[in-house]
Amino acid sequence: MRSAATVIFCSELYGSRSVLQQLIAQQLILRYRRTLLGYLWTFINPFMMMSVMAVVFSALFKADLKTFAVFLFAGMIPWNFFSSVVTQSGTSFINNEGLIKKIYLPKIIFPLSIAIALLIDSALSFAALFLIIIALGGSLSWSLLFLPISFLLLFLFAMGFGLIMSVATVYFRDLQHVILIAMQGLFFLTPILYKQDALAGKIAALVALNPITPFIALFRMPLIEAAVPSAHLFAQATTIATTTIAVGLFIFIRQEKQIVFRL
Amino acid sequence: MSNIRVEGISLRFRIYHDRSPSLKDYVARIFERNRPSRFSDFWAVRDVSFEICAGDRVGIVGHNGAGKSTLLKALCRVYEPTEGNISIAGRLAPLLEIGAGFHPEFTGRENIYLNGSILGYSKLEIRSIESEVISFAEVEEFIDTPVKYYSTGMYMRLAFSLATAMQPDILVLDEVFAGGDANFMTKAKVRMQSLINKANIMIMVSHDHILLQSLCNRVLWLDHGRLVADGTPDDVIGRYLTGKR
Repeated sequence: MRSAATVIFCSELYGSRSVLQQLIAQQLILRYRRTLLGYLWTFINPFMMMSVMAVVFSALFKADLKTFAVFLFAGMIPWNFFSSVVTQSGTSFINNEGLIKKIYLPKIIFPLSIAIALLIDSALSFAALFLIIIALGGSLSWSLLFLPISFLLLFLFAMGFGLIMSVATVYFRDLQHVILIAMQGLFFLTPILYKQDALAGKIAALVALNPITPFIALFRMPLIEAAVPSAHLFAQATTIATTTIAVGLFIFIRQEKQIVFRL
Repeated sequence: MSNIRVEGISLRFRIYHDRSPSLKDYVARIFERNRPSRFSDFWAVRDVSFEICAGDRVGIVGHNGAGKSTLLKALCRVYEPTEGNISIAGRLAPLLEIGAGFHPEFTGRENIYLNGSILGYSKLEIRSIESEVISFAEVEEFIDTPVKYYSTGMYMRLAFSLATAMQPDILVLDEVFAGGDANFMTKAKVRMQSLINKANIMIMVSHDHILLQSLCNRVLWLDHGRLVADGTPDDVIGRYLTGKR
């Protein structure tokens, strides 16, 4: 019974691939439509924001700007992806209420299109980061070939979290505001502005418990230390990612048919 | 051969009296178990069964709020029945809300692709109907303009042309409409008629009894969510109008 449901779920998703494609394009195109620089903003926007942060925090921490910038960007890009997927998925059903109440579509395409569009954005941000690294006189190593795996694991983790939030927000609308504040707090509990080993005491334990911490490391190791992440780190991240996506899909598939009654 | 079998379906809606329950209420409710419930159940469709076979042209009548549109939406899988079963054989086209999924910022052409894919057309199919849709809607000059600049008529014409561009096996209509000027209305009616003629099964909800009598060979009467009559158009509409069950 369960496996039959899974087969139907997958075949419907495959059948809706053109809607999914359209929704992704809609996300990517609309944001900067009718702006002079158009899609270039996808590069400029994170680049400018991260530059400001790099200048401010390198001065604050008295760190070397060049190394700090690369360090910061390598943490910011995966963080931004995660936090955007979770917050935007949270409202994905509410924002598409009109469509969901009028026509049948496999509902997973709403959070999924958001996550894929953001993944494309993130990949482009990384392309911008490589340019920065080269411009700053750094070198790219073979260990960067690990990054697609980092992205895959991060995607599964963020998507799982996003699915849970998308369903939960339909039932408890307050969550869309709670999640924004929670993300702000979580940002400081994630080693993005600082190195994880620079911490000590209670905070260090808290940061070590943060499920996002290993994912940030998966990106930093290849970029900063030109090393492939350790087997331990890889296993840890894989476990967290697969558990989250499994729980997310389980909750989603159980509630999928009920969502329309609660919108 | 298309076929629709509806077996004892009921649809329950939960009406919340104050507002949607917040997380706080949910937690609070765990501690006060004996508080009166904050919602009541409303059965929009109650224990309805029927079977529609190939060739049937079915009209649905009933007063406002009788559950006609809810029943259509259940057939189109928007609502999953709380009880009962629906089985459908054949490609079903939902013509419930024409223009659902149009994005105001997108151009007419982009919306053909976006809305077309929402309606279940493949990319190849959309490409093959694209030029016909544009010329039927008479929006050639504005096809690359965002639809938010369209007049209401242009918007409706494009949405109608697209929604009616493909021939479905099963056609589901909620109040046939045709927007636009007199000239377009005539064209639209001809197109609609040909869709209805070629469809294997047609189901429509309408308050226009003359239209139902001319298009349908069978009429269902829904009253407060229950099926009270199922028969020939003349018989059922006559009973519906006089209030005789």
